[in-house]
Amino acid sequence: MKRLLIGIYAVATLVLMAWGFYQAIYVAPLDAMQGEIFRIIFYHVPSAAVAFLFFAISLAGSIGYLSFRRNQPDWAQASDAWALAGAEVGVVFCTVVLITGPLWGRRAWGIWWTWDARLTTTLVLWLIYVSYLLLRRFAAGPQMQTLAAVLGIFGALDVPIVYMSNRWWRTQHPAPVFGGGEGSGMDPVMKHALGWNLLAWFAWGMLILVLRYRVERQQQRFAAREAQAALAEL
Amino acid sequence: MDQRAILDHQFTVAAYAVTWAIQLGYLAWLGLRWRAQKRANARSIRTPR
Repeated sequence: MKRLLIGIYAVATLVLMAWGFYQAIYVAPLDAMQGEIFRIIFYHVPSAAVAFLFFAISLAGSIGYLSFRRNQPDWAQASDAWALAGAEVGVVFCTVVLITGPLWGRRAWGIWWTWDARLTTTLVLWLIYVSYLLLRRFAAGPQMQTLAAVLGIFGALDVPIVYMSNRWWRTQHPAPVFGGGEGSGMDPVMKHALGWNLLAWFAWGMLILVLRYRVERQQQRFAAREAQAALAEL
Repeated sequence: MDQRAILDHQFTVAAYAVTWAIQLGYLAWLGLRWRAQKRANARSIRTPR
């Protein structure tokens, strides 16, 4: 039954992805100023939104781990698995943001990169979570999960700074399209296409997030069994 | 199509292709890890130390 539900969800996600692609390429009109290059927004913006959401999940998991580690070890391990899954899948989406953004910038601005507040804070966010993953991969010992949780919380502090950066500072990056005050906004057909792509990438992200979580839980159970067996040999 | 439109098209295709390459590459890596983990679990249950 569980497998069937996962299968149905995966098929629905693929249909959504195809529909989102169709909306982005064939339904949304060309932008009057930017032409076709504007269509990158349909992958760039949803990837950023999903990355932010997953870093928030990582934050919740990190807080959960620190809260439960002393009295509820199983909850703590589950929280830690969510923290790791959120950070890793968040990095994947953030990588997409950092590649599609410069591709757009090269055509729209004539440059691949500039050290403005939005771009720099996004790169810092990516670097913090890459360090988180390196810590998890290469550090050993009982303190590793605690250190990772603290770093996960620290990294999440950058998310609101990235989000607000083009409101707080003058940036090369475009001003906010939604909620950016007078003159901001989007053609309804484009908004519609963006909405479908947001939904599709969110569904895709949740699918791989849950898969990553389950892999980590399997790994935790394996490590616990190995540790118990090693203790039994003593 | 003028030169500008051709370049715009190529950059858009590149952005979409890179996005899919990253996402599908990650999914494939996750699938391999899942399989390796399952095998390791089965082995450790079958042959306890």
